[in-house]
This record gives sequence, C-alpha cells and structure tokens, in this order.
Amino acid sequence: MPAAFAVTSLHKRFRSRFGRSESVALDGVDLEVPRGEAFGLIGPNGAGKTTFIKCLLGIAHPDSGAVELLGHRPQDPRSRARVGYLPERLTLPGAWTPPAFLASVARLKGLRPDRPALEALLGRVGLSEALDRKIRGFSKGMRQRLGLAAALVGAPELLVLDEPTDGVDPLGRVEIRQLLAAELARGATLFINSHLLSETERICTRIGILSRGRLVRSGPLEALTAVQQRWRLRFAPDGPAASEALVSLGFEPGEGGAWEIDAPDPSALNRALDGARASGALLVELERASRDLEDVLTEVLAAGSA
Amino acid sequence: MRSIAVALDLLREAAARRWFLALGLALTGLLMVLLTSLRLEVVDGALAATRLFGQPLYHDIQAADVALRPVFRVASQVVFWGGLCFGVLSCADFAPALLSPGRIEHLLSLPVRRWELLAGTFLGVLALALSGAVYASAGLVLVLGAKTGVWTAWPVVSAALAAVAFGSIYAGMLAVTVWVRSAALSAAAGASLIVLGLLATHRVALLDLMGRGPGRALFAGLTAVVPPLGRLADAAGALASSGPLAPGGLVRLLAGTITFSAALLAVAVWRFDRRDF
Repeated sequence: MPAAFAVTSLHKRFRSRFGRSESVALDGVDLEVPRGEAFGLIGPNGAGKTTFIKCLLGIAHPDSGAVELLGHRPQDPRSRARVGYLPERLTLPGAWTPPAFLASVARLKGLRPDRPALEALLGRVGLSEALDRKIRGFSKGMRQRLGLAAALVGAPELLVLDEPTDGVDPLGRVEIRQLLAAELARGATLFINSHLLSETERICTRIGILSRGRLVRSGPLEALTAVQQRWRLRFAPDGPAASEALVSLGFEPGEGGAWEIDAPDPSALNRALDGARASGALLVELERASRDLEDVLTEVLAAGSA
Repeated sequence: MRSIAVALDLLREAAARRWFLALGLALTGLLMVLLTSLRLEVVDGALAATRLFGQPLYHDIQAADVALRPVFRVASQVVFWGGLCFGVLSCADFAPALLSPGRIEHLLSLPVRRWELLAGTFLGVLALALSGAVYASAGLVLVLGAKTGVWTAWPVVSAALAAVAFGSIYAGMLAVTVWVRSAALSAAAGASLIVLGLLATHRVALLDLMGRGPGRALFAGLTAVVPPLGRLADAAGALASSGPLAPGGLVRLLAGTITFSAALLAVAVWRFDRRDF
C-alpha cells in the first residue's frame, strides 16, 4: 500500500532569538504511515509531536531529513490540497459565521464554495444550530468542532489532527470518534496527535511514541499493548477447583476473579491448562494479557530516563 | 489566483471592523452635510451682463471651475495625509493577525504559497486604501458637480496617487511584521516611513544644513530610497486642481514609489519563506 506520508531522518533544532541556546525538537525521526490507516502519535509535553506535524505540513522547515507528503514535497500545494489539518489552537475570525469561514477555506483550497454542502458538513460536526451565529460567541468545544469541519472541507485524503477532542464534552467526543470512523471507512488516512491516550486507543490502529524528539516505539496498537508471555484466564465460578491447586500450578489471582499465568510458548500454556482442568477447573475465557497505552507510555518513558 | 482570495478575505474582515465602519459613516456624513448645507451660486454670464448694462465690474468673480481649484487642492491634501495616517493606524494589525499562532499554521497547511499569502494581504490593504480614497474624492466631486455643474475626474485620479503612496508605507509595515509580529511595531514603522517621506521631500535643503559625518551619511542613505511623500502630495494636489506638473516628474515619482514598495515586499517574502511557525 502506498504511503500517505514518509519521513526519513528528520532533525529539527530551535535556537533562541540571539542564538544563545538551542533545543532539539526532533532527533532523527523515521516514520511511514500507509494510506487508509489511523495512526496516533503520543508522548509527553515537549516531546516534539507538534513540531513533527509542522515539519510534515511544511509549516516549519526541518534542519535535515526528507519528508514526502502524498507523493510530493510538503511545500508543493498539490500535496497540501489533499490534506485537512486541525491545529492545536486554531484562531478563528470572530466576526464571521461558520459557513463564511468554511467558504473561505474552500476558496483557499481552490474549490467552489457550495453552501448546502458546507452546511451539511457543519451538521456532521454538530453545528447545524449555529449557522448564523458569529464565531466570537462560540465555546471552546464549538470552535474545535468548526476547526474539524474546516479540516474536512474537500474530503481530504489525509487528516492531520492535533488534539482533535480538546475542549469537547464527553458526548461530543463520541460524535467525533464516529465521524473519524466514517472518514476512515471512506478511505481517508488519520494522523492524530493527542494527549488523551484513551481517545487515541479507541481511534487508532497504529501508535508511535515520541520522546525527546525520537520515535522510541512504533507499531500496531495490539502489539504495543500486548504482554507476550502473560495470559489472562477465567474459570467457571461454580467449578470444583481449589485456589490452592491453581496457585500450585503457577496461576496468579488477578482482578475481578480472573487468573493470570506466564507461559513462554503454547505447549507450556496447554500444560498449565491441562493441570487446571485435572484439578476440576472449568475454563470459560482465555485472552492474552494486555496493558493500556498509559502503561506502555509510562514504561517507555521510564526506560528512556533510566 | 489564491492571492485574490486572501485579499477578498481581508476585505471581508475589514468590513466587520468598527474602524472602517466609522470611517465609512464619517465620510458619508461629511458628504451629506456638504450636499445639504453648502451654498454655492453659479453666476455664469454675470460678467457679460454687467458690461451690457454698464454697471461696475466685480473683478473677483471667477469662472466656477477656476474657483473650485483651491477646494480640490485642499481636499486632495486632506485625503492624502489623512488617508496615510488613518491607514497606518487602522491597518497596523492586519498582518499581525494573519501571522497569529493558530491562524498562520492553518493557512500554511492550505494549498496557498507563502508569497501568495503576503501578496494577498498587501493587495487587500491596497484595495481598502484605494476604495476609501476614491469614495471620499468621488463623493466630493459628485457634491460639487451637482452644486456647480463642474465635472472633473482629476480629484479621483489624485486619490489613487494617495493609495499608491500608502502602498509604499504598508509594504514597510508588512516587512517589519514578518520579522516581529507586533501591531504596535507595525504602526511605528508606518509612522516612521511617513516622517522619513516628509524629510526626503526636503532632502537637499536638510543635507545642506548638516555637517559631514555618519549621521549625515545615514540621513542621505535613508532619504535617498524613501519616496518623497511631500512631492507626491503636491503632485496629487496639482492633479486634483488641474494645475501644472513637471514633465515626466510624476512618472519618475510613481516609478520610484512602486520600486520601493516592490523591494520591501521582496524582502518580506524572502523572510516569510524561511520562517518557521
């Protein structure tokens, strides 16, 4: 599958105004995101996530490295015409109405503003009741929704969203997740930068962890959160197996009545299960033990600082 | 061309600003007052009539178009200098607003080239200045034309000259903003260019008063490139009042002013292209 974007050995340093000090924002980042994928970039504050997005879209100039955005350089308007971007803090023209703002975005994208289509887009992000209101009276959540609508103008192939659910209420987040799922189903590629790990987990299928300007971990969400040798099991609660017997076989009591066991390979797992069944336990559930993204991020950051 | 779209957006933004609404209302109010209260009596043929009936001649009676010349000259000066000062104050924050965090990132993510953004902002402000100056001068021409029967387009042409002069000032304001995003600094740059433009008008006389040294060299260098706004204003006044102009003088003045604007815009684009946001 062709890449939505590919970044090779990206370096970016920021110098203070008089060159007295400099900080490394990106330190040799390599990343390729295939088309049609939902990729989430996570990391602590100051890790370089927003700088990465800015270099990706040509808003900042990398010191070295290569960026290819939808088959072109980011400076090429042909690539940016197929991208929708929601910045972290979008400043909107307060005196305008939402349709006027979207019409301006459409014109700058080289499209003919189509009022019914723009109103339908505003309806998709939940702003159909605010079509005639001035933007200056909007709440933070409404501004975020309008920014998202602006990113969706022209049905872009790649959506780059910096904190898309920031300031949005929980119900609004569900709506935005559904909207992003629809965009994904349409064939769009999603690239999301969010500090809300649970949101990222629910939307993205691949995750990258950026720390101190380096991409320290990247891969499918399941692979990142899985614990390779650990399994979680649940036995029938009215089974005759005694806890002592299970403990003697290597099982450890987990949360909510579940059990966990370390098994380096399928044979070891099956030997342990045979022993449990022999002791009268009735297996009803078996899954690979996994952690959430927060655990993964904590582990990665702790390893990085050690 | 996306610059036109950027310029039109700037005009839409300006239409929502109180500054420009106030200017539009003030100009309209002034023209309405002139239209309803100005008492002008045109007495064409009066001189012949007095001669015919042997009455004493009133030598201060003039033809209407001649009588209106000083009016048009003063009006063109008001439009020129008033326009420059109002423009500097009211347009100082257009470029800083364009470069504000959260807005510039969004604009740069759209398929618009960086130079198109700057050119669009410049064109939008120029269109704003031109429309204000033309509205004021065309309104005055209409009012006086209706009252006196004298119709002339030259005051409108002279207003366009004021807009060209403001273009050179705004190019400097834009270039400064690309370095440091500040409306106050942008306005200060505009005010400084107006003062320098006035000094450049009297450059030769002022240089004669200065002793040799780096200060004189700096003054000579600065005033050599800045358009002499006083001479432009005089030319605008002469045009408005159908007065004499030095042959080729206006063309040279305009060429110099446009070159100055283009050079400052080129510097602004060069810097803007290299900046990170």
